[in-house]
Amino acid sequence: MEKDISIATPLPREASRSTSAASLRTSRWKERSLAYFFLAPSLILFGIFLFYPLLKSIYLSLYLTDPQGRVASFVGLDNFKNVLTSEIFYNSLLITVKFILLTVPTGVAVALLLAAISIPKLKLTKLFQFFFSLPMAISVGTGSVIWMVLYHPTLSILNYGLSLLGISPIAWLTDPKWALPSIALMTVWLNLGFNYIVMLSGMQSVPEDLYESARMDGSGPFRTFFRITIPLISPSLFFISVVSMISAFQSFAQINILTKGGPMNSTDVLVYNIYQDAFINYRFGIGSAQALILFVLITLLTIVQFKFGERKVHYQ
Amino acid sequence: MKPFGKKSLAMLLLSCMMLVASGCGSNGAATKEEPAAAAPEAPKTPAKQEEPVKVVWWHSMSGDVGKAAQQLVDEFNAEHKDIVVKAEYQGKYDESLNKLKASLGSDSGPTMIQVYEIGSRFMIDSKAITPVQQFIDAEKYDTSSLEPNILNYYTFDNKLYSMPFNTSNPILYYNKDAFKAAGLDPEKPPATYEEVAEAAKKLTKPGQAGGSFAIYGWFMEQLFANQGAELVDNGNGRTQPANTSLLNSDAGVKTLDWWKKMIDDKTMLNLGRKTDDTSKAFAAGQIAMTLDSTASLRSIVKSAEGKFEVGTGFLPKADAGVKGGVIVGGASNWILNNRPEAEQKAAWEFIKFLAEPKSQAEWHINTGYFPITQKAYDEQTVKENMTKYPQFQTAVDQLHQTTPSLATQGAVMGVFPEARQLTETAIEEVLNNKKSSTQALEDAAKAITSKIQEYNKTVSK
Repeated sequence: MEKDISIATPLPREASRSTSAASLRTSRWKERSLAYFFLAPSLILFGIFLFYPLLKSIYLSLYLTDPQGRVASFVGLDNFKNVLTSEIFYNSLLITVKFILLTVPTGVAVALLLAAISIPKLKLTKLFQFFFSLPMAISVGTGSVIWMVLYHPTLSILNYGLSLLGISPIAWLTDPKWALPSIALMTVWLNLGFNYIVMLSGMQSVPEDLYESARMDGSGPFRTFFRITIPLISPSLFFISVVSMISAFQSFAQINILTKGGPMNSTDVLVYNIYQDAFINYRFGIGSAQALILFVLITLLTIVQFKFGERKVHYQ
Repeated sequence: MKPFGKKSLAMLLLSCMMLVASGCGSNGAATKEEPAAAAPEAPKTPAKQEEPVKVVWWHSMSGDVGKAAQQLVDEFNAEHKDIVVKAEYQGKYDESLNKLKASLGSDSGPTMIQVYEIGSRFMIDSKAITPVQQFIDAEKYDTSSLEPNILNYYTFDNKLYSMPFNTSNPILYYNKDAFKAAGLDPEKPPATYEEVAEAAKKLTKPGQAGGSFAIYGWFMEQLFANQGAELVDNGNGRTQPANTSLLNSDAGVKTLDWWKKMIDDKTMLNLGRKTDDTSKAFAAGQIAMTLDSTASLRSIVKSAEGKFEVGTGFLPKADAGVKGGVIVGGASNWILNNRPEAEQKAAWEFIKFLAEPKSQAEWHINTGYFPITQKAYDEQTVKENMTKYPQFQTAVDQLHQTTPSLATQGAVMGVFPEARQLTETAIEEVLNNKKSSTQALEDAAKAITSKIQEYNKTVSK
């Protein structure tokens, strides 16, 4: 009792000191909670759509599921073992690598070329800039349906064009040799709009005086392009190559619509293979295991790109 | 801006939250009340219910066939004031079945669903359905007029689990005008592998190939049955759950060798997996023969109108002497058991309506699926239609001439959709010169067998 009272008497003074400390604490707390409040929407979205699924797939990758996708039995690392020893997985990986090689360098090169020729201010520049960035406005689904018509085995417009040149028709999507290049072609076109806009904005931000002085020094257009433009837009180039690499790894919709992985699994890229295992055959275990392997692969590749690719990037 | 200080903002937020919360509350109360009020009434006077019972039907009928299905639904709804059937197109059979799988264990599923024949084993194993046999037994529904071949397919352990709705089989479509031009008898379609190959050779000329078959696993299954060969062991999976795939048997090798030879001779085109593409090429006169389901009859005949005359023949046999026949393809309707009883009963009413001779006659005429009840053939409209489009007769004759056996009853396995994909890949490997027929089929059979065994492991008996 005494103790209580002894504390109680000096309370007013102590309280006043502690309130100032407390008010500082509360204001800091307030500030922090305000920060989290503003972060909350993205944290919640990330949590629901990225972190929770990630944890769940780690969990699922250790189990077998029944035909309805319900967890049936614990198998440890068997799923990973099965994936890493299956021929289909390596086949898919090889196809994915081929697909990346077919789409990423060409996509970057075409966008660079188009941006380079549409940068000088001529009469119809704006119109061409509009045309070249148009694919950006088309969704993967719509784009795939358009190309499905173009690639149609018997009613293909492309084949009609070839027949006018005296070339015999190509079985775009039904010949295993052509299916992957056909899809790659379509994908390059699809990503062109975005790549082009990034390149163009990169080029537009190169200061004009650099070009002027280069011209005065007698540098020709090619030399100017390779010695001035390319180094100065290297951040855009780097950004585009990283982003298109990741998106090429994740290409799914066009394959699902155009070929469904066929013919002869020649377009069965990793993501489509995962989709097939998980959502068609309801083997979530093996699907999750593959998804995690893909996650590791993309992370490693991106780190490599940053380690080695970024050295050559020149930030102004 | 004093009046809009922190306090009033907080108040505003609070009142917003309360509004949301109260909205939730009243909603919850309403949903809780509904079944409570309906339950005591339903058994006594189901017909006099004020709120009609809602039956959600997932189906996979698109295009012209989808319109015909909707027409049947509308007729049913007009006749039955106490039931409202809501038909929802859920994509192709595969897609719709996948959506069902995703919805199992939740309330978002339908009351009844149309599932293709090869999904039957899965539906039974899922234990998520009420066998229609229960309804048949409960009211002594007469199934004697139903087509015996069709009932055969959907009967497992002497029980009818689902009600057949749309059934079809593959037939050979040919261009009669092209046959005449090539010096072939337009009234005598080729009946054996050899005859087809010969006809294809004669029909091939610049701008027109002899024919094209879509790379569709279903055709392979049918060509097996047409040779009296079984696709999986244990009596085609009918006497016991299947254990091994028999895809690599002689019947398969023979069929693929024949198909491949025609592709190599360039008398047959490879147009990929879609029958849509082969039927378009057929309508455009680019190919003179094709295999397709009878369900496409109506649209194929329509698309060729004014261009050429369409002939139909039986599915070709390996040899003239081989015994066998076609499997009943198509789909049946299943009732889900997680729905209230009144809703399941209402679904049964709709299923009975679909099986009526009148509905089946209308369905048959509008699509090309053949009637599941023999009484439909007595309907005047069907008779008129047969004289107008004699092509319809082929499918019906083919069905009736099929000798029932385990082979023609159709294979049963839980992983059928996957097996079909593997079969299609095998056909592609052969047609594209990657593997020999024997090799490709052996590899596919091995892969299918391991999938079957894995499936058997995860399904508790």
